[in-house]
Amino acid sequence: MGIADARAMHPSIDIVEADPEADRRLLEGLADWCDRYTPLVAINATDGLFLDVTGCTHLFGGERAMLDDILSRFFHQGFDVRAGLAPTPGAAWAAAHFCGDRIVVSGEEEALLAPLPLAALRIDPATRASLESVGLRTAGAVMAAPRAPLARRFGATLLLRLDQALGRLDEAVSPRLPVAPLSVERHLAEPITLTEEIERLVGMLAATLKTDLERRGEGARTLALLLFRVDGAVSRIALGTSRPMRDPRLIQKLFHERLAALEQDIDAGYGFDLVRLSVLAAAAFDMAQADLTGEVTDDGADIALFADRIRARLGEGAVLQPVLVESHLPERAVATIPFTEAPRRTTPPKKPVKVQAPTTIFPPERPIRLFRAPEPIDVPATEMPEGPPLHFRWRRALYRVTRAEGPERLAAEWWREASSDPVTSTRDYFRIEDGDGRRYWLYRQGLYGNPQVPPRWFMHGIFA
Amino acid sequence: MAISAVARETVFSLRRQIAKIEGTLPERLQAPAGAPLDADASAYVDLTIVRRGLAAALPDAFLPIGIERLDAALSGGLPKAALSEIHGLETRDAGAVAGFALSLTSLILKQAQGLPILWIGTSEIFREAGFPYARGLHASFGIKPEQLLFSEAPKLVDALWIAEEAARMTALAAVILEIRGNPQRLDLTATRRLHARAASAGRPVFLLRQAAEPEPTAAPVRLIVSSAPATPRDTIAGPLAGSIGRPAFTITIGKSRTALPGQFTLEWNPDERAFDERRGEEKRERAKNPVAVVSLPGGRKDPAAASGAVLAFPAVGSSTADNQPPPRERTAHLGPRRAG
Repeated sequence: MGIADARAMHPSIDIVEADPEADRRLLEGLADWCDRYTPLVAINATDGLFLDVTGCTHLFGGERAMLDDILSRFFHQGFDVRAGLAPTPGAAWAAAHFCGDRIVVSGEEEALLAPLPLAALRIDPATRASLESVGLRTAGAVMAAPRAPLARRFGATLLLRLDQALGRLDEAVSPRLPVAPLSVERHLAEPITLTEEIERLVGMLAATLKTDLERRGEGARTLALLLFRVDGAVSRIALGTSRPMRDPRLIQKLFHERLAALEQDIDAGYGFDLVRLSVLAAAAFDMAQADLTGEVTDDGADIALFADRIRARLGEGAVLQPVLVESHLPERAVATIPFTEAPRRTTPPKKPVKVQAPTTIFPPERPIRLFRAPEPIDVPATEMPEGPPLHFRWRRALYRVTRAEGPERLAAEWWREASSDPVTSTRDYFRIEDGDGRRYWLYRQGLYGNPQVPPRWFMHGIFA
Repeated sequence: MAISAVARETVFSLRRQIAKIEGTLPERLQAPAGAPLDADASAYVDLTIVRRGLAAALPDAFLPIGIERLDAALSGGLPKAALSEIHGLETRDAGAVAGFALSLTSLILKQAQGLPILWIGTSEIFREAGFPYARGLHASFGIKPEQLLFSEAPKLVDALWIAEEAARMTALAAVILEIRGNPQRLDLTATRRLHARAASAGRPVFLLRQAAEPEPTAAPVRLIVSSAPATPRDTIAGPLAGSIGRPAFTITIGKSRTALPGQFTLEWNPDERAFDERRGEEKRERAKNPVAVVSLPGGRKDPAAASGAVLAFPAVGSSTADNQPPPRERTAHLGPRRAG
């Protein structure tokens, strides 16, 4: 039916354009919410969710109670949901799509499928049409037909789907999110809204988590806090730690920073009725032996915790450390990476056998500050074509060069950038001092003598 | 006289009490070395008491800069467990300001080896003045890349928060907080919080303020740093004309409880990791080559000078003959600085 026909029938109809992206987001939101029932939630096509509730139903009082709970909660959120519960994904899919609110016990799959139309087998429309054209109109008819001709004529997919639905073949439901090795949760009779209450709850959950981690001899490296809001929205707060951690107090501290940073983004609404703390990644935790006064003095732990707290509040890039890189280009010679603690070694690291680069007695002078992007400067004239400038203009101020050292010629890394022209990307660095004694690092990119591409000058760094 | 001695004691104890109330910076009150303190002294003894502030704290409480005159002016050096302000008048002085702070850090790292340093800056200053470059820091100040931690905060509030958290850590050798301009948030309260944490952790916090006007803060010391022209590089054949030698700074004491305002020109020696003071040109010449190139005959006058014919190293003979500085320079500049 076109929009015009629909409008003719119902003049007050509201036309909204389909938005598959928004539908997808909504489905993902629902999948997040379904995390409260099982960690194994998968999205099926554009309109369905698979929940692998194996081993979870007793937590909700049995299969029937769980299904009712799911349905009633979805109903109160304003969704019309059809659900089926069966031993295989295929049977559950058929039950949800064609029976509605049915629980199929093991062995009953055949009885469930037999009267259903072919669409219940999750086969593509072309196969379905050709099956119908030969008179096979229900799943039961297909089941009764001999297998070999079916496979020969309609392909292996049909039998695969049939076998999966009947439980003869295993079908894996691939969950959206990796399953956390450990997680603790608390259902709350009264929803909580205050950040302080969440923090306190995190401390309690972390205390429970600690015994599990201790039993496994591990500490958490990545933690996630899931806050399930009453109306279905789920907030997921993840944070990483620099070293394995299991102390509830420290975990609570980290989440305190994270929650403080996210204060604006987390909308408690009517409150959270389920809080879950999961360990997404764990690593071996080695206990540090305390001395007789009971104090463990480990500076590394302090710094790791400090870095974690800063990062919890300000993001991953808030604490950086420099790493030297083998490159002659100054901007590549140092990389800054987020702070990670090097694993503590009990034995000194083995030195890799490699050819040592010859060390020079006088290493080239390098500035103490480097601009991230070299800033173009205006050089009107140089005394010699290849020499340092006499004066230059940088950030609208004129600088007079009193002394200069150089040039130090650095060519581009031809093995890295094939496209760049070696002549235009060659840099001649000069270390200069201005009239007030400030020392700068300038370079000229390109060479004189090329009328098409005149050389350009840049300010790259500052010396002490 | 007994009365004046009693009065002096009272003043001493009152001042000590004030220092105690002020908390962090106990002062020692000391009469100058030459002042008579016995009973027959005049009644004006109290007026000549020198406030040698900060010196009564632990002997380890100061970071000697290594320049006698500057250390004397600051009465022992920069306080180690405190907030110290290092100002640059313009953003383009950022190299000198950072360089001076890093030289101080390098001096600290000589004692606290292996501990990392944290350099906090706002995004603004790192964009305006450049990001610290680990290779240059290693070459000029001997700070290894593994010892460096940087923290770039998008906002001043975040930078201050990181600095406060970092200032209380004993696992860091020093904290450098770099901020541009005179933001309103960096007021007396904020600096007092930083100072208090630094004092309780016993670690220095260097507050680098680029392009900032001096304003009241809780930092006990404020130094204003600008670049000074470097001397030419030394070679065997003498100074290399036109070359740029070791980094040099002009330090002005902007605020100190003990020192009068003064100006010093320091030169950082990256090889020794120590400061040299630059004085008059002739002094430098002498300090550069303290050992005679040709060994002098002991106890006799130089025969070469007597004969007047061999003139291979005329400078050596003249400098040994007259190595006294001009009297003007010695009296005025080398004596300990006093402030009432």
